[in-house]
Amino acid sequence: MAPVHTSTAPASDGATVPSESRGAALGNLVRRPETGALIGTLSVFVFFAIFGGSQFLSAGGTASWLNVAAELGIIAIPVGLLMISGELDLSVGSVLASSSMTLAIVSGHWGAPVGLGILLALGLGLLTGFLNGLLVTRTGVPSFVVTLATNFGLAGLTLGLSRVITGTTSVAIDPGSPAKELFGTLLANKFEVAIFWWIGVVLVVGWMLHASRYGNWILAVGGDTVSARATGIPVPKVKIALFMGSALGAALVGVIQTLLYNSAQVANGQAFVFNSIIAVVIGGVLLTGGYGSVVGVVLGTLTFAIVQQGIYYTGWNSDWASLILGILLLAAVLMNNTFRKMALSYAPKRKA
Amino acid sequence: MSEPLLKLTDVSKSYGATAVLHDISLEVRPGEVLCLLGDNGAGKSTLIKVLSGFHEPTSGTFEVDGKPATFKSPRDAGEHGIACVHQFGGTFPLMSIGRSFFVGAEPTKGWGPLRRFDRKFAGEVAVREIRALGITRVTDGDRLVGGLSGGERQALAIGRAVYFGANVLILDEPTAALGVKEAAHVLRIIMQARQKGIAVILVTHNVTHAMAVGDHFAVLIRGTLAADFRKGERTREEITDLMAGGEAMAELEAEIEAYQREHAGQVPDPAELEQLADHQKPTA
Amino acid sequence: MSTKRTWVRTGLATMAAATLLLVSACNSGSSSSTGTDDEATTASGGGAGGVDIYVVGGKSDDPFWSRVKRGAEDAAKVAESTGGSVTWLGPQNYDNLGPDAAKLIDTAVSNGADVVVGPDWVPEAEDAAFKRVVDKGIPLFIYNSGGLEAADSVGALNYIGSDDHEAGVAGGEYLGEQGVQHVLCVNTLPGAANSEARCAGLAEGVEGSGGEAEQLPMPSSSFGNPTAVSQGIKAALLKDDTVDAVVTIGTGDADAAASAIEQAELGDRVSLGTFDLDETQLSRIKDGTQLFAIDQQPYMQGYLAVSMANSYVLYGIELPQRPLLTGPAIIDGSNVESAIAGAEAGVR
Repeated sequence: MAPVHTSTAPASDGATVPSESRGAALGNLVRRPETGALIGTLSVFVFFAIFGGSQFLSAGGTASWLNVAAELGIIAIPVGLLMISGELDLSVGSVLASSSMTLAIVSGHWGAPVGLGILLALGLGLLTGFLNGLLVTRTGVPSFVVTLATNFGLAGLTLGLSRVITGTTSVAIDPGSPAKELFGTLLANKFEVAIFWWIGVVLVVGWMLHASRYGNWILAVGGDTVSARATGIPVPKVKIALFMGSALGAALVGVIQTLLYNSAQVANGQAFVFNSIIAVVIGGVLLTGGYGSVVGVVLGTLTFAIVQQGIYYTGWNSDWASLILGILLLAAVLMNNTFRKMALSYAPKRKA
Repeated sequence: MSEPLLKLTDVSKSYGATAVLHDISLEVRPGEVLCLLGDNGAGKSTLIKVLSGFHEPTSGTFEVDGKPATFKSPRDAGEHGIACVHQFGGTFPLMSIGRSFFVGAEPTKGWGPLRRFDRKFAGEVAVREIRALGITRVTDGDRLVGGLSGGERQALAIGRAVYFGANVLILDEPTAALGVKEAAHVLRIIMQARQKGIAVILVTHNVTHAMAVGDHFAVLIRGTLAADFRKGERTREEITDLMAGGEAMAELEAEIEAYQREHAGQVPDPAELEQLADHQKPTA
Repeated sequence: MSTKRTWVRTGLATMAAATLLLVSACNSGSSSSTGTDDEATTASGGGAGGVDIYVVGGKSDDPFWSRVKRGAEDAAKVAESTGGSVTWLGPQNYDNLGPDAAKLIDTAVSNGADVVVGPDWVPEAEDAAFKRVVDKGIPLFIYNSGGLEAADSVGALNYIGSDDHEAGVAGGEYLGEQGVQHVLCVNTLPGAANSEARCAGLAEGVEGSGGEAEQLPMPSSSFGNPTAVSQGIKAALLKDDTVDAVVTIGTGDADAAASAIEQAELGDRVSLGTFDLDETQLSRIKDGTQLFAIDQQPYMQGYLAVSMANSYVLYGIELPQRPLLTGPAIIDGSNVESAIAGAEAGVR
């Protein structure tokens, strides 16, 4: 190839904006609304590192909260994205259970290839999300109600069909290679492969929200739907896609848990409905939409998982775990509000 | 006089059986400020929604630059150069200035799957455009819109519309939520836009603001165009009367005088007054 | 009722249609063969064609109750063969279990039950409803929960089921025989009477042979999430290296516990056992990664309760065993093969 002369001269960006000095870096951090979430994660980690002892800090102890965080995170990130756009999804519990049962029935009970079972499980998730989105955007009924209805409806459908088809409500499956390795194996006998799925989801969604133009659309839809529509953003399409995303996340965790524990239970998954909302809110996403970040949701998820699992390393009676979670949720929201106010009230000192 | 940028002929809008706009015909010319006046419920916001593509009219025609056009969505209207700015600027308090400025038309860099939002470019352009409208306090495109004052947000929204080539700018009560100084600043921005040859449709309750910048006035009463006149053709008092449904009030006063003549100077009691008032309502 | 009376009544029915409502009694089969279609419909529609058995049970989405229901359904075939019926009444959820169950018991009475079968989950809420059943002269059987004590206090004929405390004791004694010293009883429903009784019985059984048992309660935020349960158990095992057995109160939790033991790499030190049974437990017992399961044989609870209700009303049969226990049965490597066959049939 002929050598190509590329001028690598620095882009002369006749900047009209005076760039701020590095000294302002700390100030900028304080003005970022995720700072509250970061403080939360660090505090609970230090707290349990002190009271949980060396086992908490060991590889096994780390895996404890990381595995829980990974599965929760795969759901919490798309749920957070949806919440940024101003909608809630309470149907993730039943989506998880239905995807899990679909996979176990198709590939375990009927003996079809595991790949087909996984595709159907994820497809069912996408379909549920599509219906949620369609109902919310077409009828104008609040997503809280629509997805609550879906959660109940789908739970009933899953239970009914499972009993009709298999006669029981828990179905075993022997996934075999490579599905087991891809979704439901433990690396070093400790770390769930779900951690890599979580990292993947974080990277893809993080890119989408913060770097791609679609992220701007999501923030705008949640911030002010009417104005967003006025600028030409296809609001219903954005919302339907986001509902499909959260349902896909839940279906993926259903697949992961089924292949990890080699069985599916109809009653699984409901804890994820509120746990995902808690993680997202601790992560600084505004419940009413319009603001949030993937970094925040990751931190919120980690905080939740560390508290939920850390208590077992303290040797204290785990009866108190829910109390700590409740206090933490309230404290996190108050702290997030404070940091958000700081970010909003900020204005440069000099007056022109 | 220049050719109209936007021309409405006999535009009507009804929701089911309820008629909201009747046969509105209007012309909007470049470099002019059209003040749309009227009481609450007169149909101003419906007219704006029809103009900006949120609702399609039930009947009547639109012409843009002399060519017939139909707006099926806000995007359609936008493509014809019509932009609408809401009372609070229609901006997103928790988005950065740069992001907010480019919502729906994000600048990107890179190719294929790596195409990404150009934050730096967005911030620079946003700040430049806002400063060009005289808001010098805004220096950083990464700041959140929620930190801006009401007037600054209007400047952001107007700057955005102008940047994206709007030649008809619809401003819905831009000064209603502002203090005196901020309102004056927004009016100055409107004059700047006018000088650039943009047609501005200004919806307002405030006659002083309307008189200050308006070239052309249209008064809506109960969904009909009650008056359409140019600057200097009516006095401030006449405009105020019109906005308060003044013509109807004047007629009511005449009725009361007639009643007094018939009843030897007796003032009608409130119940009778109400009947008179009902009698005066124009038949829709 | 005696065959003789049936024939007398059937004869009357064929002779005098006007007295049909009074006499249309026991055997709708013979009634329909001798009467017109209309008469037959009246006979069974009036609920007098056989024994109408109402069974109050759990939500059918937990694996356990689906087996109880299966047993009830199988026994129903016998009741149906003599013109009877079995109606299953279950709550929508367990959020308000006591009052919900009491309402279901009242529903059974108002629907004209000939005999009622119900679990005494929450005595404070349900006993008044059970007493209303007995006061109306309707035979009552308590099954699954409550024990004989509850049956006697409300005036029920018998109790069919296992006793959570007894089951725990049996499990504890079995562990003691295996030389286990320190048992962790994983309780994913802390505060519920039966899970507490299981853990308490387990402790009692282990203490008989000099060992000890402690409870590991799990918060509600882990419910239905095997990963959270699993990681919690793993943490407890890593924290305390004297634990040499984990027992879970249900089968879903046992799957999570198996994973926890594997992740903590303590398979050699820690044995796994569980209350209740499903296919996965059976295959683990077969593989040797799980020591045992304590089965209360739920199928038999539904089956025996319905059979006894039917045969008591029809023929006055009562059994001398009070209570009539369906468990505990310990399933371990020695008897796992036959249990697997039962599981394949959806019964165990």
